[in-house]
Amino acid sequence: MSKNIEKALRYIEKNCKADDYSISIWTKDSHETRFAQNTITQHIAGDNLQLSLEVAYDNKTGKARTNQLDENSLKDLIATAQNTAISNQPDPEYMPTLGKQVYPKPVNLIEATAKLEPAEMVEIVRKSIAHAEKQDARVSGMTEKHIQRSIIATKKGLYADSSFSEFGHSMTMKKGEAETKVSFNHKDYAKFKLKNELDRLSSQMDSLVQQKPFEPQRIPVIIRPEALIELISFMSWFMNRRQADEGFTPFTDQLGKNFFGKKFSLMSTLKDKDLIAPPFVSDGLPSEEITWVNKGKLLTMPTNRYWAQEKKAKPSQLYNIYVPGEGTTEAEMMKLVPKGLIINRFWYIRVVDMKRGELTGMTRDGVLYFEKGKIKHAVNNLRWNEIPHEVTRRILAMGESVGVEGYAKIPPMLIDAFNFVDKTSF
Amino acid sequence: MDYLDLAMNKALSLGADYADIRIQKTTTQMIYLQNLSLKNTSSNVLHGYGIRVFKDGVWGFAHSNQFNEKSLAATVTRAFEIAKLSARARKGAGLHLAPERSYIATYRTPVEIDPFDIPMNEKIELMMEVNKTIKNYEGIRQAVFYILMNKDEKLFASTLGSKLDITTQFINPLITATAVLDGDSQSRTFDEGGRAVGWEWIEELDLLGKAPQIAEEALMKVKAGTLGEEKRRTLILDPNHLGLTMHESVGHPTELDRVLGWEADFAGISFATPEKLKNYRYGSEIVNFVGDNTLPQGLATAGFDDDGVPGQKWHIIKDGILNEYGSTRDTAMEIGLNHSRGCNRATYYYDQPINRIPNLYLLPGTKPLTPAELIADTEDGVYIQGRGSFSIDQHRVNFQFGGDLFWEIKNGKLSRPLKKVLYKSNNPEFWNSCDAICDERFWQPFGVVNCGKGQPSQTARMTHGSAPARFRNIRVGGSQ
Ligand SMILES: [Zn+2]
Repeated sequence: MSKNIEKALRYIEKNCKADDYSISIWTKDSHETRFAQNTITQHIAGDNLQLSLEVAYDNKTGKARTNQLDENSLKDLIATAQNTAISNQPDPEYMPTLGKQVYPKPVNLIEATAKLEPAEMVEIVRKSIAHAEKQDARVSGMTEKHIQRSIIATKKGLYADSSFSEFGHSMTMKKGEAETKVSFNHKDYAKFKLKNELDRLSSQMDSLVQQKPFEPQRIPVIIRPEALIELISFMSWFMNRRQADEGFTPFTDQLGKNFFGKKFSLMSTLKDKDLIAPPFVSDGLPSEEITWVNKGKLLTMPTNRYWAQEKKAKPSQLYNIYVPGEGTTEAEMMKLVPKGLIINRFWYIRVVDMKRGELTGMTRDGVLYFEKGKIKHAVNNLRWNEIPHEVTRRILAMGESVGVEGYAKIPPMLIDAFNFVDKTSF
Repeated sequence: MDYLDLAMNKALSLGADYADIRIQKTTTQMIYLQNLSLKNTSSNVLHGYGIRVFKDGVWGFAHSNQFNEKSLAATVTRAFEIAKLSARARKGAGLHLAPERSYIATYRTPVEIDPFDIPMNEKIELMMEVNKTIKNYEGIRQAVFYILMNKDEKLFASTLGSKLDITTQFINPLITATAVLDGDSQSRTFDEGGRAVGWEWIEELDLLGKAPQIAEEALMKVKAGTLGEEKRRTLILDPNHLGLTMHESVGHPTELDRVLGWEADFAGISFATPEKLKNYRYGSEIVNFVGDNTLPQGLATAGFDDDGVPGQKWHIIKDGILNEYGSTRDTAMEIGLNHSRGCNRATYYYDQPINRIPNLYLLPGTKPLTPAELIADTEDGVYIQGRGSFSIDQHRVNFQFGGDLFWEIKNGKLSRPLKKVLYKSNNPEFWNSCDAICDERFWQPFGVVNCGKGQPSQTARMTHGSAPARFRNIRVGGSQ
């Protein structure tokens, strides 16, 4: 594969006649074992490749993409991109490509993951199913492994090349009417301990055995990291400099202000060994340490190169999420409020009002009710409508930051007066 | 068809119980225009093949983009080896495939003007004009025009002896105007969700003619009032809005793989379990939902699915009662059906097909009824046009929907525009509250081209449809 990529890059360099161009190549070698209701239902293997060429004549651009690297395909690709650009109208926001850059060298490709064999992945699935059967439960999930590579090369000499590995194992267990889920994602398979995951799944399931009806209301919640990451991801998607400047989001005119709760900080970092940290972001810009929010103050927002130039700001992109925690345990959090709920996961979050930053969503995979510092019983799932940046102003306590989804490290949080508005039948 | 024969012979020689190959070339063209800036003008080609091997009750699927005999043979072998590995984590005898005969057939989406034949600059000129028209309105801060053209060319062969040559295509224009005023921002979107037709549809739509209305409605919306406190009200929903509502609350819960729990880890399961078939009151007596993969211009109409099963038409809900699911060859047998409804579809060559929603629509009312009569017959309610925020739980019971444009109905008249309206309901309350559906003259199809499901995630497309319909006693209110 590598040789063909080299050859393709040379071919385009030699044959692309446009004033400027940028080549992006992405490859992904995947193995995915999917299981449900205690049996394998899908099993997929193969590698993917996509090569995309964006060319410009002055400020007229054209783009073409292929997954074939033979000369004829590349010839077509160049012709399509060039002809598109020539017949296109000028783009007033066109930005020329970047020249040579210097990149940080985070380690994202881990040998233990690259070496993992399909037979071992099936063994993980087999053991997960056996564990469920022993408890008279049913398990569904996926065991997956990916090796990805991403390259950007420009006419002006920029060359960026990075690879990373990913291993994931998720399990949703259903026993009677109770459902719960655990998932593990890390670039390093060596960090995976099936026993830990199975124990976590069993203990979550045990806590759910007795379920009582619960009416929607404003109530304190402990949001576990797997749930919290979804809120923070949606919120950071709103956090775009241009969208804010143009008046579409709640972040309009909030730069430099204490917009979030004092306990809340948000960063992207290359330094944390557990996080996937790409050395470059779009257009081949080097990744840097960035603090987006410091103790409640909004310091900067993701900004593309065009808008950065307009606003005399630095272009930036959110490439991973790190929220520092405090170290309060769940047991301690339960004692800080008279009663509340513990949320395992959220589900189907959607924007309700972009300008207010308001979202809706459901709970999923187990909600627990606690009172006087003790878990009492499980409750039905609930719908909530909330505004995440306002949620950060109601943080009462935070736990220790833990890795979720491979790209984020965040703590569980105790939030006051979370706004539940409806309930469901299970 | 050389590769097809080679692959099937190889699979049989290895000992596959069943195998198929799908050689698929997906060609797309997209243009994204935002405030007269061309953010993306691109042409994409993805070409490769996926091979499924079924052995001892389990699947193996391998894919490749390498078109040579050696890679083809290696990919078949890989799929076979994976299936053998899968057997180690199989329950009982594993899965069974519903019986199917072989077909030799060709299908082409009927297209008058192939969008790929229209020069790029002609498309861009039209888009620029529309974009300019919208942007020129004072108060409109953002004008977007996005168009996607897609063509899928498939060659399919199976060890049953089927050979299918299928080309489907669709086109999806989307126009948005966003207004900013007094600290609020509101958008109005034209989006019919795509249709399996050619460029002739774009010409019929007269998008330049529609542009002023899109801009004016965005401005009207940003100045509109809100509904205030949530209470039980009457809703009248237009077909575009209902397309999404039925997708989420009827389409997904009646996918048989969800019913079986195969999506439990991510997309979720279904409350509409098999013991409810033929007896569960899903909706009122006037509610009839039909699955129809033969629907002309339907996004899921392709002659055959990726199991090689022909497109069919059947009742999913009949006179309000849950009647049947959308199924595939491997899900059908799990509940004792001897026949697949042909709902197995993959997105790209590298995707293993999964149980998808068919073209699914609500039959129109049988008595003459116009939307004007329906509104005139409604004392106090809200009329919702287009799609907005939507969220539903993972058993497909509780949901909350917004919309794109809202009107208060007072004494049989649209009294004032509204913004930020949300309604909350659930299954089976919602469809049982349906008390009127306009007649067939007002039935309209609307597509969905981004139905996400599966691990790894795939994006499917299908067409929904309905006439405007009325729902009583639904909790309707405003966002905070
Ligand atoms: Zn969907």
